[in-house]
Amino acid sequence: MKKNLKKLLAVLLSTTMIFSLSACGGNKTDEAKDESNNGAVEETTDEKDEEIGLTLWSIATESDAFNNAYTKAIADYEAAHPGTKITHETFENESYKTKIKSAVAANELPDLFYTWGGGFSKSFVESGKVLPLDQYYTDEFKAQLSTAALNNATYGGKLYGSTYTTPVSALFYNRAMFDKYGLKAPTTWDEFKNVCQTFLDNDITPIGISVKDTWVLAMTHDAFTLKSAGPDKTAKAITKNGVSYNDPDFLASAQKIKELVDMGAFIEGATGLSNDEASANFYNGTVPMYITGSWMGGSILTDAPNPDDFDVAPIPVINGDNAKITDFMGGAADTIMVSNATKYPDAAGNAVFELTRSISKYAYLDGAGIAAWQVDYDDSSVNPITKKVAEYATGATSFTLWFDTLMDANDAGEYLALLQELYIGNLTPEEFVEAMAAQLEG
Amino acid sequence: MEKVRRNKIAICLFMLPAVVLFAMIIIIPIFMSSYYSLLDWDGITKGVFVGLDNFKELFTSKSAGFPKTIKNAMLLAVLSTFIQLPISLFFAIILGKGVKGEKFYVAVFFIPVLISTTVIGQLWLKIYNPDYGIVNAGLKFLGLDNLTHVWLGEQDTALFAVFIPILWQYVGYHMLLMYAGVKSISTELREAAKIDGATEWGIARYVTIPLLKPIIRICVIFAVTGSLKAFDLIYVLTNGGPAHASEVPSTLMVSMIFGRNRYGLGSAIALMIIFLCFFFAILIRKLFKTEEVE
Amino acid sequence: MKTKKFKLGRFIITIVLVFWAIIQLFPLYWMFTFSLKDNSEIFGANIIGLPHNWIWENYTTALTKGNVGLYFFNSIVVTGLTIALTTIAALMATYALTRMVWKGRKAANNIFMLGLTVPIHAAILPVFIILRNLRMTNSYQSLIIPYSAFALAMAIMISSSFIESIPKELEEAACIDGCGVYGIFGRIILPLMKPALATISIFVFLQAWNELMFAVIFISDSKYRTLSVGIQTLSGSYTTDWGPIGAALVIATFPTLIVYSLMSGRIQESLVMGAVKG
Repeated sequence: MKKNLKKLLAVLLSTTMIFSLSACGGNKTDEAKDESNNGAVEETTDEKDEEIGLTLWSIATESDAFNNAYTKAIADYEAAHPGTKITHETFENESYKTKIKSAVAANELPDLFYTWGGGFSKSFVESGKVLPLDQYYTDEFKAQLSTAALNNATYGGKLYGSTYTTPVSALFYNRAMFDKYGLKAPTTWDEFKNVCQTFLDNDITPIGISVKDTWVLAMTHDAFTLKSAGPDKTAKAITKNGVSYNDPDFLASAQKIKELVDMGAFIEGATGLSNDEASANFYNGTVPMYITGSWMGGSILTDAPNPDDFDVAPIPVINGDNAKITDFMGGAADTIMVSNATKYPDAAGNAVFELTRSISKYAYLDGAGIAAWQVDYDDSSVNPITKKVAEYATGATSFTLWFDTLMDANDAGEYLALLQELYIGNLTPEEFVEAMAAQLEG
Repeated sequence: MEKVRRNKIAICLFMLPAVVLFAMIIIIPIFMSSYYSLLDWDGITKGVFVGLDNFKELFTSKSAGFPKTIKNAMLLAVLSTFIQLPISLFFAIILGKGVKGEKFYVAVFFIPVLISTTVIGQLWLKIYNPDYGIVNAGLKFLGLDNLTHVWLGEQDTALFAVFIPILWQYVGYHMLLMYAGVKSISTELREAAKIDGATEWGIARYVTIPLLKPIIRICVIFAVTGSLKAFDLIYVLTNGGPAHASEVPSTLMVSMIFGRNRYGLGSAIALMIIFLCFFFAILIRKLFKTEEVE
Repeated sequence: MKTKKFKLGRFIITIVLVFWAIIQLFPLYWMFTFSLKDNSEIFGANIIGLPHNWIWENYTTALTKGNVGLYFFNSIVVTGLTIALTTIAALMATYALTRMVWKGRKAANNIFMLGLTVPIHAAILPVFIILRNLRMTNSYQSLIIPYSAFALAMAIMISSSFIESIPKELEEAACIDGCGVYGIFGRIILPLMKPALATISIFVFLQAWNELMFAVIFISDSKYRTLSVGIQTLSGSYTTDWGPIGAALVIATFPTLIVYSLMSGRIQESLVMGAVKG
């Protein structure tokens, strides 16, 4: 029996080696074989008679605002390309992040998959498992979707994905409450602070925020940073491009957060509240302001009892020398990419653009998101808040992607952790800026 | 009989399904994780071999804060063993003895275990809510306004605030195991003790509990390993926050692996969890053994 | 005097039991009322009370949008087969580990304890790679096998503690009667292990029915999706309508309660019977 055990151990060890080797890449041939196990014939340029089956993964679950747009876009595509069938599988946002990473690691990617541009997908592209799309980005598409919009899906000069929406951060506010105290949407930091003070004097907490879902706090801090340091400097510092984070302009935005915390401007208990809980306080009129992405425009319609009370404005400028009111945080992070292992690279490469074009249109008409593609259709039915944000986006002088999307995953994790510490008061703004600089330079 | 008990073919046959399952899903992944823990690897692109650097980082890096997570997990293990298990034992003995509505209570006490963690998590989020949560509302009602807290959002309270629901949820789990044990003790033994004039307390102390030892041992092992691996409720309630105040090894591991793409470091944490669980499981077995010898 | 004291003790015990029962029942009540509310009530002023408007549509939404029927069926298949596989493997192994004589038995016993130690999230990628190399992703077995393996350690521990109470003399008598090792296992041990079966089933059921991460990662085809994942996909990425989720959770919890009430009755019966016989 002991012998048996030894043998068993030997077998286990050798299998382990095989598995770990295959886990670390270098098994392209194996992969190619895998993909042909559905009995499909080798791909030919003449695909007319052949049934093409593409699988698409996304986070547009049935209750997501984008679900309807995806469904319609897929129907349109299938109608325009008879013989092509797209299977759409949807997953919940948070667990999808884990799923997509595991799928890349284990070579289990579907033909088309939703992902986030910028730092999130960088390692996917580096691993060589994503199909470059430059040859499919034809002039027809180029005319309707600018290269600039695809910046976050471009790695090393090559295009790897297409997008359908360009959400931007904005200041959502309760106009009815503003009117009651004779206030106007602020455009400068002093005005903003004055608005906060007026509400505080009337026993109203001015700003809703979630620190537990740290991305909400990050949206506020990102926006302040942009409006303090300006788009150029911010992007350079975040992407480690010759600008140190340890700089007075970055310190200023951290200090603004601290200032607001000390004033009591943020909703009580924000450290323990989720985004759902905190934004519920905004919808029901407990707090008058919330800084978040343009998707809130659609949510106000469904979640607020009086949607007409609400309005939206750009984030106020903190330092007029560096930033303009028309500089925006945001841009196309939502991206659809194509797997390198797809059986139908041509079909998938084309589908990615046609699908994102249709999703862009339907999502905008639904008020789910700002269209990334040219609007060449009647959009009078779009809800006024979404439309207003869309106008801001059209007139924007710059877009800076949210820091936690722009940074690579490890930096982003540290950024969010440090922000929590800043908010709680474990770190002073100076210490925060130093720690950020250390993380980005280290 | 001896011959029957030594039947090698039968042994292999009986062990086969369990060994195959186990090797495939538990043993090989442990080996794979051991290998990963020696890499600087994002889980996707090619990893770089870095030897024991990940382990070094675990114990030295301040921003990871691993030692603190171990401390938190140990605290949870201690609380489970010395608060949760005695409560479970108390209910198991009372119910096992036979009271009116025994079946009803057994069923009801187990309910929190049956309900999905999402629901339990959402429920406790409401209970702790700083504005309208029951805890703060109760304190205000009693005029103790200065005792109200943002329970899940303050560094001093977050850890205990997440531990309470965990301890509460699994009281029924251990109770059921112990209850099954109590029921398998023959009633005659207890009757005999009663006739000898033993009090209820005496019967529990000298008859029931000693006979329950194998089950209690299992419960302690489950409670300790469960504490070291605790994840779900903490993830829902605080996700380790604020500022790592309620971080435990599993939440740190998940945020390293899937949040920060540090697969190597995450695997090192996983190995530490495996090692600690295994160490304590063996230790607990040994402790119970020596006690039996006495 | 003695009877009075006795009565007082009983009274206190009843109070404690009732009090604890109310606490334990509360989540059930809360889940049910929450399934009939909308977000403004769930997150707002009315978190504990009965719903102002009873929104039964939440159930319609959950049933139509969530594809709950299919997922329910998948969950039953996966959980049922997991229970079967785990109990068979565990009972067989337990017998070999506790009653048979061989070298390395203790070591093997200890190795099985490793099953309690592996944190599920760390195992995701290794197990995924193994399943993929075995061409098993996107199938029922891609969940049944890992679930069984993870439940095995616990099942073996529970059944070892039960097998201890079966007297060895029974086996010896059977042996003298000419029973082989398989006969002894099949005719003596298995029937006497019935109470353990019920206990193991409950605990395996809990693990498999509620598991989320493996189910999300290993299954991509919605044909094989389980209920826990199905419920999760009811939430949107930036805002979530919690009412229908509550409804789906009620629908998911209901069978758990039924299975449990059946099983717990079984446990009690078989235990009492066992006690009388033993």
